[in-house]
Amino acid sequence: MPEPGDNTHYAEPDPRVTGAIRYAQDVELPDMLYACVVRSPYAHARVLRVDTSALPADVVALTPDDVRSLGLYGCQIKDQQVLAVERALYIGDPVAAVAAATPRAAREAAELIEVDYEELPAVFDAVEAIQPGAPLLHEDLAISDNDAAYFGMRPEPQRNVCHHFRIRHGDVEQGFAEAEVIVEETYRTPSAQHVPMEPHACLAHWTPEGRLEVWTGTQTPFNLRMDLAGIFGLPQEHIRIIAPPMGGAFGAKTFVRYEAIVACLARKAGRPVKLVLRRDEEWLTLNRHPATIHVKLGAKRDGTLVAKQVTCWVNTGAYADCGPGVAQKMGFASPGPYRIPHVWVDSYCIYTNLPSNGAFRGYGATQAVWASERTMDLLAERLGLDPLELRLKNVLVDGDRYCTGEVMHDVHFADCLKAVAEQIGWQGGRRGKGLAVLLKGMQTPSRASIVVEANEDGSYTVHCATAEMGQGAWRAIRMLAAEQLGVPVERVHFPVPDTDIVPYDTRTTSSRSTYMMGRALVEAVRQLKENGELGYGECVNEGGLDPDTGQGIASTHWHQGAAAAEVRVDEETGKLEVVHLHTAIYAGRVVNPPAAQLQNEGSMIMGLGSALFEEIAFSEGQVTNANLSDYNIPAADDLPRLTYELIERPGAEIHGLGETALPPVPAAIGNALFSLGIHVRDLPLTPERVLEASERRRAAPV
Amino acid sequence: MAAMEIHFTLNGQPVTVQAEPDEMLLEVLRRELGLRSVRETCGLGICGACTALLNGQPISTCILLAPLAEGCEITTVEGLGGRHPVQRAFEEVQAFQCGYCTPGMILTIKALLEEQPEPDEETIRRALGGNLCRCGCYLKIIQAAQRAAALLAEERRRQPQPGPASIS
Repeated sequence: MPEPGDNTHYAEPDPRVTGAIRYAQDVELPDMLYACVVRSPYAHARVLRVDTSALPADVVALTPDDVRSLGLYGCQIKDQQVLAVERALYIGDPVAAVAAATPRAAREAAELIEVDYEELPAVFDAVEAIQPGAPLLHEDLAISDNDAAYFGMRPEPQRNVCHHFRIRHGDVEQGFAEAEVIVEETYRTPSAQHVPMEPHACLAHWTPEGRLEVWTGTQTPFNLRMDLAGIFGLPQEHIRIIAPPMGGAFGAKTFVRYEAIVACLARKAGRPVKLVLRRDEEWLTLNRHPATIHVKLGAKRDGTLVAKQVTCWVNTGAYADCGPGVAQKMGFASPGPYRIPHVWVDSYCIYTNLPSNGAFRGYGATQAVWASERTMDLLAERLGLDPLELRLKNVLVDGDRYCTGEVMHDVHFADCLKAVAEQIGWQGGRRGKGLAVLLKGMQTPSRASIVVEANEDGSYTVHCATAEMGQGAWRAIRMLAAEQLGVPVERVHFPVPDTDIVPYDTRTTSSRSTYMMGRALVEAVRQLKENGELGYGECVNEGGLDPDTGQGIASTHWHQGAAAAEVRVDEETGKLEVVHLHTAIYAGRVVNPPAAQLQNEGSMIMGLGSALFEEIAFSEGQVTNANLSDYNIPAADDLPRLTYELIERPGAEIHGLGETALPPVPAAIGNALFSLGIHVRDLPLTPERVLEASERRRAAPV
Repeated sequence: MAAMEIHFTLNGQPVTVQAEPDEMLLEVLRRELGLRSVRETCGLGICGACTALLNGQPISTCILLAPLAEGCEITTVEGLGGRHPVQRAFEEVQAFQCGYCTPGMILTIKALLEEQPEPDEETIRRALGGNLCRCGCYLKIIQAAQRAAALLAEERRRQPQPGPASIS
């Protein structure tokens, strides 16, 4: 480590401190046009007529007629067209688009397009959307051929269900019959916005040979290429995706977002076309799944868990996106990291007339952990047990089988729980304090591959598709390569990923990249050392779950962590103050300490926002807080005392750290509130909800 | 609307640019002057990603009408040269992830330290109220501000300011 003040180890100042970094929104090509999207003002409406006759002659317009014959797409269910051709399915659904010489000209032109609609009945709540008679969003639910559709999908045609994931483990009826105490509760978590500082941005261009080139902020270059190939009926090799670093993503920049619209405009215009979203459009692009979760938990008087039944209603909005995957992961995270002989889970991914919901840091775990870990404290109270002792009595240890049937290895849930309890002063009194533990899977199955090339000047170049969104993956991979090659990290280059050059990678999600690419790299470096020129390595993790029983391998590698919170409440106003937040995360082996710390701090801070105030407000499907004045994200002055530990073990594997600390934070804060007798079922923990729960307790018979 | 000419000093150099009278300074800095360190996130003057210094004070260029910059001194992070003590502090502490908010953070802290060379943590947190970081780097950004204060203090010790003229 350099001494503080010694900057000589930096050859050049970091482009992030000089402003020299170039994001997708900064990419430009000569003669490019700027796009603007025309969106439906109705939550559900037939698109009758799109009139572009008022447009100036130099504006290029894209209307449903231009895209009607193009392929359907969707990373898991093929339910989407480039524009809403027959029906618009949410307020904000793109129905047309324009390209003009300047961003202002494009915005003005978009206003000139007239669209006639016939309004249709809409549904916004996931539980209501699967009742008989609810408006049906999609007639056909074809399963995608994109490799993001990697597990058995169970869409239910003629019902707004695009996936039904089940876990059937043991005999849950018998389990509840054996239980001496049963607690039951229903929880709700809201939609939230990723709010990447850089909005979605992409630029598309067709070469004279008919190849499509797209520069875009994306975590999923190969999945994007597959879907674009399907839309345009092109071989994948005729499409080139270049993925510059992103100004934040958090799951928002996955799969097809606006790349198809921009590519269609570019083809029609015969010129490159670029789109940078306005901030308010982010709320109409991709959000976090709202969920309603019912938990029934049975135990013996001594606290031994015997049965758990969970139902998740997962609201995926108008298009499935990766909602089936989120519902699956929410489903298998909801039993929690416990030994439970009888488990029954139904997780439904449900269409509604809201904007699409998709990947969001935590990927279903935040919702599952909120419901699961709040219920553990309900049970502890009912049994008169210490919530820490109840958890430690039941938590999975090495060699245990999870409810999916897989045997757990390298298990550290108890270590994480004990560590957070100690740091929060659990033994000194539990009033105002709460704990939560999490297990979160990593993308399984998946494949990562990497090429390392020796350059003539003695430096090396790494070619891999891993996306950089601030998580530090490029630096971590460079550091691992440098370590194995025995050179300083400055001698290892990592060019911007380009699908024409880099080998295949599943995607940069689920905190998998440092772990998976790190393993692929070992073989690549070994090969390179043999031939002196070039090495290729790949890492495959095999597994998957049976969708009808939830049995199999959910994850080859588990993210593990715990959080503890201490809170104070003003019972007159309902204002909740977090005094101290601590997390303990199993890291295995840390590659780059500052980046690992930053990922963990950032996860905790995002978890704090989810716990206390982040919630997208809807009125009949219309987002009513689509700006950073009405939708708050944490600022420096919002932070409590925030501490954490990354638990390492000699010889352990690398564990991704991008998402582990977020999901347990809201549950730990909710449990801290519960220790004061205030039981809030729904996130976020606003003063109104805290006050209401506090008054409910006062009104309850003693 | 007819475009107009606006004159100001950008990072020490006089510039003349064409702008619409209702355009914001952010658009002009990016389009006419090619600056990429000023970035739009909220468009409301809340998040600080578009921060520049106007006569030394941090402002949100996304809500400043470009003609109001007439005759002013505008500083962006490109004008700091890369080795400014606040930039060095950010590198040492690694107080960034995606880096999108970093230029705004650096300029806000630079302005703070010029007014208050030894701010306490509370003061730093409050000063950062108009700069959001979604990656959540705040703990390290606060550390970087403290480190920058120390680096600047060291610089001042090495290059003592001329005192009142002595009477000979």
